[in-house]
Amino acid sequence: MNKNENGTDRRDFLQSGLLGTAAAGLAITSTSHVTAQTVPDAAEPEVTNEVDVLVVGGGSAGHVAAIQAGRAGAKTLIVERNSQLGGTTTTGGVAFPGLFDAWGKQVIAGIGWELVKESVELDGGQLPNFARVPQRHWENQVHVNQFLYAILAEEKCAQAGVEIAYYEFPQAVTKTDDGWQVDCVGFGTKRRVRCKQIIDCTGGAEVVGMLGFPRLREEERQPGSYLFMLGGERAIGRKQLHRLYVHGADSTNSRTATEANMTGRKSVLARVRKEKKRLMHLQPETGFRESYRIQGETLISVNDYTSGRVFDDAISYAFYPVDLHTKTGVRPKPLKPGKVPTIPLSALIPKGSRNIIVAGRCVSSDRLANSGLRVQASCMGMGQAAGVAATLAAKSGTTPLEVPLTEIHALLREHGQIVPGKA
Amino acid sequence: MKKHQRSFVSLLTALSFVVLAVTGILAFARPFSIEVVGLHALMGFVFVGLIALHVANNLNHLSQYMRTKVLWLTLTIIAGLTGFFLWQPGPIRSILALSQNLGPAIDQFEMKDDGLVYHYSPGPHYKMALTIRAGKAFDATKPPHVAIWLENASFYHIKTLHEPDDLAVGRAALPYWDFKIRGWEEAKRKAQESGKVLSEQLEVDGVSGATQNSSFDPADYILPADPDNPMPYRLVIEIDQPGDDQPSLVYSVEIDNAAPYAFQLLDLVGYPKREEDGKNRKELWTLYFVDEQFDSALTLIDSALLTIDRN
Repeated sequence: MNKNENGTDRRDFLQSGLLGTAAAGLAITSTSHVTAQTVPDAAEPEVTNEVDVLVVGGGSAGHVAAIQAGRAGAKTLIVERNSQLGGTTTTGGVAFPGLFDAWGKQVIAGIGWELVKESVELDGGQLPNFARVPQRHWENQVHVNQFLYAILAEEKCAQAGVEIAYYEFPQAVTKTDDGWQVDCVGFGTKRRVRCKQIIDCTGGAEVVGMLGFPRLREEERQPGSYLFMLGGERAIGRKQLHRLYVHGADSTNSRTATEANMTGRKSVLARVRKEKKRLMHLQPETGFRESYRIQGETLISVNDYTSGRVFDDAISYAFYPVDLHTKTGVRPKPLKPGKVPTIPLSALIPKGSRNIIVAGRCVSSDRLANSGLRVQASCMGMGQAAGVAATLAAKSGTTPLEVPLTEIHALLREHGQIVPGKA
Repeated sequence: MKKHQRSFVSLLTALSFVVLAVTGILAFARPFSIEVVGLHALMGFVFVGLIALHVANNLNHLSQYMRTKVLWLTLTIIAGLTGFFLWQPGPIRSILALSQNLGPAIDQFEMKDDGLVYHYSPGPHYKMALTIRAGKAFDATKPPHVAIWLENASFYHIKTLHEPDDLAVGRAALPYWDFKIRGWEEAKRKAQESGKVLSEQLEVDGVSGATQNSSFDPADYILPADPDNPMPYRLVIEIDQPGDDQPSLVYSVEIDNAAPYAFQLLDLVGYPKREEDGKNRKELWTLYFVDEQFDSALTLIDSALLTIDRN
């Protein structure tokens, strides 16, 4: 038998070669290939967009607002500082949005529900039976696969013709004759956006703040929740993650958010070391509950909220207990039977402003009302309404507050949303 | 003669003690009954008198006992036990929590032509009255089955205040209450078997954070030891009109002694429907929102008003 210099014969060589090829084959089968589209002028740092509607923030309200604006025919751009859409549901990991129902019937539907339903169905999950009386409010939260949800949101944006700009955030906002000039910055990108309408879905009304409109802020923020999974199976789209209360979590700016995230991660690391369990999942950032709220044309008080006041300019429903988290935890105060709060259009308009509307947890409200209004389904409802109002305002050259309410309601219904008041 | 007198007193003392012991156990284990507690108290007075005679008859023996060292040991044991029971640490409270008797409660249920009235006074400064006004469908000749119970914030049954007269028929007519009772009894049994207290046996609501619901002792909710830190609880009724071919209906109200209301109306919650627990295939009764199948059942009661006098 012929041995080569390394002491292996031809048969050994063939055997090891075949095994090596097989191993390489296995490695290749676990990797699939796709090619990203070429970005025009990718080397050029400065880009310009002319759009009807600019949505800032792609969270619970923002992505819905953008899809709605796109579907209603507005040329729409959405900028998001993170790498995916969905915000609290996806990046925050609170992948159990609620509440879409109240007292046995659905009260929030539209684009948010379409996404939730589709992601649950695609994931083989189960939707709650709204005819059942939930003993605890969170029983009707819908468990979604956070990863699928983020991808579906992108797909629906693309289908609606919405351009997405990740890793970017506005640096300056200037008023123009027919709207706004917004300068955004991302890494390697300076984007100048000229738009007719801005929908501020940043959670903390960052654009409103840049424009100098008054905002409300509490002395102390509610704790944020950092979601992770230690030990057991990570049942995506089925079970909630473990949660860590990060007291003092504040999304006011990048510095406070950094501090909150690092505090959360440090604590998780300490638990891993102490409990000697495997870290199975860790969200990239804290789920923040509050920062700034706008001072709007109307302020929703806790009495408005708990009494289920139907505002004259109501554009969507909200439903959740008054749910103020404190240092000692939370004792949700359920709404009285039959009560379903509503959100007025004027609570989304910063006082004295034109051509800008907000949606999401920065809605003009007192702290207790906000503790119920801030949840995802309500934010999705607000997002869709803001998308409609901004689109109609852009088309008619007016400001969202001056768009006839009947037109807003009609377009919302056309796009599957449930609107307070008579059908 | 003296010997006969001594035997007579000793036997009377022993027999009255038997009555005291039995009524004491019944007073602990059963809901409040003026017959049982009255018998216990009155027999107690008789027992005290008999003890006085018994002591007089046995004074010589007793004085000898008093001179032994055992006296101090017995005094210490009794003083220790008295202090321990008065202090009521966790294990003692767990035993007391097994009691069905909240104390000198006055419990009265009355069915009338124009509705039902239920009075419950677990203490001299806490008087509940539940007034259920009859609706159009109320038929006093065929009175509805009614159960009234208390639940903690985790929706676990903690005490039944009123159960239907005909328990077998009532349990079938009021399946939600029956389900809750069975769950509670099973949890108690498992807790006894495993040596746990009931709050460890039942899963409590941990999702919402600091929900104060871990106690299954009704006294902790109705007459909390720490009045500055009361826990909310719910009063629930299930009512069914025989022969209306419609399921029973469940009404409830939350009672929060931290935010006391003198008057509260009960809200219609839903109707019970049998399901199966997917994982264990166990029987499960869940409430559903009232739908179009209901007509007369919705007018069985006009209103249910809970009044609490906390003075």
